[in-house]
Amino acid sequence: MVESGEQMQSPVIRKKTALMESNRQNMASLISPRFKSAAAMAGWDEEALLLAALIVEDTPDRDSKQKKRLVLNSKSPLSNSSRKRRSLRNPQPIVLDLDEEETPKKDSGKKKREKKNGEESKVGEKELSKKGSDVNSNSSALPCMDKLREELSCAICLEICFEPSTTPCGHSFCKKCLKSAADKCGKKCPKCRQLISNGRSCTVNTVLWNTIQLLFPQEIEARKVAASTINNRQAAQNTIPETTFYTNPRNRSLQPYPSRGLNSRRNEAATTQDEEDAALARRLQREIDRENNNRRTSTLSSIVRARSRRGVSNQDEDAAFALRLQRNEFMQAFRSSSQEPSSSSSTLLAGPNLRAMATRAMNLRNRDRRV
Amino acid sequence: MISGGGGRSSSSSWAPTTSVSASGKRIQREMVELNNDPPPHCSAGPKGDNLYHWIATIIGTPYQGGIFFLDIIFPTDYPFMPPQVVFKTRIYHCNVEPNGRVSMGILKDGWSPALTITKVLLAVRSILTNPDPYNAAVPGIAHLYLGDRAKHDDIAAEWTVRFAK
Repeated sequence: MVESGEQMQSPVIRKKTALMESNRQNMASLISPRFKSAAAMAGWDEEALLLAALIVEDTPDRDSKQKKRLVLNSKSPLSNSSRKRRSLRNPQPIVLDLDEEETPKKDSGKKKREKKNGEESKVGEKELSKKGSDVNSNSSALPCMDKLREELSCAICLEICFEPSTTPCGHSFCKKCLKSAADKCGKKCPKCRQLISNGRSCTVNTVLWNTIQLLFPQEIEARKVAASTINNRQAAQNTIPETTFYTNPRNRSLQPYPSRGLNSRRNEAATTQDEEDAALARRLQREIDRENNNRRTSTLSSIVRARSRRGVSNQDEDAAFALRLQRNEFMQAFRSSSQEPSSSSSTLLAGPNLRAMATRAMNLRNRDRRV
Repeated sequence: MISGGGGRSSSSSWAPTTSVSASGKRIQREMVELNNDPPPHCSAGPKGDNLYHWIATIIGTPYQGGIFFLDIIFPTDYPFMPPQVVFKTRIYHCNVEPNGRVSMGILKDGWSPALTITKVLLAVRSILTNPDPYNAAVPGIAHLYLGDRAKHDDIAAEWTVRFAK
């Protein structure tokens, strides 16, 4: 009886091991040696490696998510390398930062895709990097580039003019800078002190703006992204430390507001920071400082928002405003969808979580195979 | 920016206003430019970790041989408000208040956001060579400067030897 039982079991076991073996071979072909060495450096054993590969296979929404994020970040499609470059330069929305913690997973995903596309993608990457370096060398190769940069930079922020506005006396500054200067230092040209007309009505010098965009595409693009993703550095400076601070289980009791409320408040702040209402925002800031931690802030900011909205008269400014609102909505949606992992996303928990997910994936997969 | 978040705003109480990052960026840029192309006889840089608090030195005439230390304090809405420039070394000069504050048009109403620290330092150096007795902070010195230039220069040199060596 016992023997027959063993005999009954053994084919199943054999089948299982054979399955595992085939899996292993599959995975081995999936994982490139470079990734393996990287994983080894990170202290992953082979089992973990295989499991990671399995996870990647079993998470099909990864790509679509990334695509969505790309749409969110910019209008033009981005290459991998340019994204990396950008992420080095710019504060990224939290959505991305949450992902950064799962880099091993992402890496393996990348590798897998690379493998799928075979040589093509590698060649593409090479070309891309070549292109990038070409652009770089181009900008440094032009002998007058430094002079151009100096000539086209705004005397107020000392960076390349962003949406340059030209005064009647012929000096150009960033539109934003000129407005702030007119608000805070009086309606004089910062360069020659001639009287300038109302700073509110200043328009973008299109020819100059287009020229600048052609000459410094990378920097302008970076600044556009920086301006549009969060529309202020608040999210870059505050939210990231905040999330890490409050997601730490030890500090959770210190959280002053429910995170939901925080998010909406943040959002309101983002919308309030309308370009041409820097002064209003400043006033608001002062008021808020005065009654720090007071719940009335949200009503205050909404009032100001309404005021600023009334102030917007231009049609394309309206459109820009709508776009910004839409982006904020997107951001919030992403944030709330990623809220769940974020609540347990301390690096300590990441490893066990990954393993648990992997075993689940493995079980699912085996069940599928058996059926 | 506006909501801030309770925990954080209290931790960074020294630079709470809206334009922190804008002003910080600009100051950083000025620092780089100053390092790349320092003005003659001047040097400047942040005192410590605080980007908004600099220390500068000027070597000037008729205060030859003297090294004058200055403190530069940037307001948080910096390019739109003038920095505060204070002589830390005592100096005999009609445009420098007894407490060391430099009294200059461009550091008051004449400020323009297009001015940089480099330009401010050059201006300070130029008033060391050519004091402006008609907008003096210390009328007595201005009077002496107008009445007896030689004596004024003697006293200035004496002070330099005493305080700026």
